[in-house]
Amino acid sequence: MDLDTAAIALNNVTKRFSETGPAAVTELTLGVAESEIVAFVGPSGCGKTTTLRMINRLIEPTEGSIKVLGRDQDALPAHELRRSIGYVIQQIGLFPHHSIRRNIGAVPELLGWDRKRIDERCDELVELVSLDPSLLDRYPAELSGGQQQRVGVARALAADPPILLMDEPYSAVDPIVREHLQDELLTLQERVHKTIVIVTHDVDEAIRLADRVAIFNIGGIVEQYDRPAAILRAPANQFVASFLGRERGLRQLALLTVNDLTTIAGPTATLTTPVASARQLAAANRVSWVAIGEGQQLLGWVSLHEADARWPDGSGEQATVADLTLQDFVAVVRPDTPVREALDVIVTSSSQMAAVVDDDTFTGFITISQIAGGLD
Amino acid sequence: MSAVAGFVVGQRTSNGRDSFIWWDWITRRPDEIWQRTLEHVQMTVVAVGIGFVISMLLSVIAVRWRWTYGPITWVGNLLYTIPSLALFVVLIPFTGLGFVTAQIALVSYTILILVRTMVTGLDSIPPAVREAADALGYTRLRRMRSVDIPLAIPAIIAGIRIAAVTVIGLVTITALIGNGGYGAFINDGLNRRFPTPIILGASLSVLLALIVDSALVIIGRIATPWQRIAEQRFEAAGR
Repeated sequence: MDLDTAAIALNNVTKRFSETGPAAVTELTLGVAESEIVAFVGPSGCGKTTTLRMINRLIEPTEGSIKVLGRDQDALPAHELRRSIGYVIQQIGLFPHHSIRRNIGAVPELLGWDRKRIDERCDELVELVSLDPSLLDRYPAELSGGQQQRVGVARALAADPPILLMDEPYSAVDPIVREHLQDELLTLQERVHKTIVIVTHDVDEAIRLADRVAIFNIGGIVEQYDRPAAILRAPANQFVASFLGRERGLRQLALLTVNDLTTIAGPTATLTTPVASARQLAAANRVSWVAIGEGQQLLGWVSLHEADARWPDGSGEQATVADLTLQDFVAVVRPDTPVREALDVIVTSSSQMAAVVDDDTFTGFITISQIAGGLD
Repeated sequence: MSAVAGFVVGQRTSNGRDSFIWWDWITRRPDEIWQRTLEHVQMTVVAVGIGFVISMLLSVIAVRWRWTYGPITWVGNLLYTIPSLALFVVLIPFTGLGFVTAQIALVSYTILILVRTMVTGLDSIPPAVREAADALGYTRLRRMRSVDIPLAIPAIIAGIRIAAVTVIGLVTITALIGNGGYGAFINDGLNRRFPTPIILGASLSVLLALIVDSALVIIGRIATPWQRIAEQRFEAAGR
């Protein structure tokens, strides 16, 4: 990446907390592009938080330079630089003695906005982070963890900073709320287009949220910095591979959608198909049912066990599948369904296949073989 | 106190006074009681007020430049341990008999109490809140003013309560050098070996201490509405 055009550019940055000890961050060069979400991920003590905190000068680098939006970060006093960089931390750190409104309006207040403008901005922000506006007059202690997290994000975004830094923002909330907040961040990003750096120890969170992931090793050494799919497909070294863990393949599935897979026709018949042909079709696909399609539509499926029960003597060869009971197809996925979810549909359904349906248009089937094929 | 005890045992019925407290003596002096009350309150308010300002400055310095905390508390401790009578003896040649001397003694007692509680209060602010304030772009001074000090109010109030109650007690001693609010009654009673004013002065100063202490509790509650809500939530969660 070209450091000159990066929104955040770290150039050969080293941080030592003591003269003699090992460096927390070692000669790190890394750029974050504008409107990009980058995740710093790595084991504890790898210097990812130190790196984040050097961006807004909560920690000063020992050597090297950091540019923010093309400007040397010490061109301004630290407190002024920080007002243009949103910051969200795990413990949130809301001001317990200020109402939610004053918490959200903290930076605008520092910037000297008038009361009316601050109030209007607060109203906008609660909407942006999906908070109930009636909470504005409450104190932080009255809010749940998830609500406080949203306030933390609203406060960070209050003065519309171009950059947002997040330090383990979702570690303190329970997994369900966490997933929800992660989704919200992605939706939010579609509206605000910030340059976001997020520190996490959770590989799944990094993969889910980030456009690019930097894998940190002890000493602030970046082992690999690339798009999540590329890292999962081709880990740069043993450290990255072992950090990604055994579930690397499964994690890749979370990044792919059904659209990325090739569908097959599967056992698809029409209402006029004779039962005999349906049997051959099903046998060819090693299933005991056929799907009934009409034009681009999937009508449902019929069971050939039913045919066996109806005509145990092998008669009924003149019958068509229309004589059997048409049942609704349950294992249905959409082109934008993540493959991980599609896999779940396939393994939990008795059909062993999932039908791909896009707004009523049936485009084919996927099976486990198609998913395995998509991983290459 | 031995003088009082000696009197109670030995000369109880002299001067024809047959009861331990002579109520008439008290009821005949509403104006004097009122005047002594004002004097006592004034001495207390001035001493705690000056002590508060000095201590606040010292505490902010101690928190900002940590190494100063040791020397500050050392001096505070020294002042605290000097007996008040000894301090008067030392000061009288310089500041004379009166208000200033009394205030110097009273103020110096409050400093150790106030600085300790204020520094504890400022230190107990959650690190995350501090980090957030720094990261949002608060300057040091601004953070001190609108985050650190407001959050330390409960601790500061606790310190003021102890200081005020201590000072209310000490004011009576300053009667020895011509001030002293209720202390004047006690002094009078001791000089005349007459228990009624002693008991009056002592009771009134205890009463005043109780009233001031309760008032400070109420002020503290009003000044920290967020705390009340946190407590309610805590209680609700405990149920």
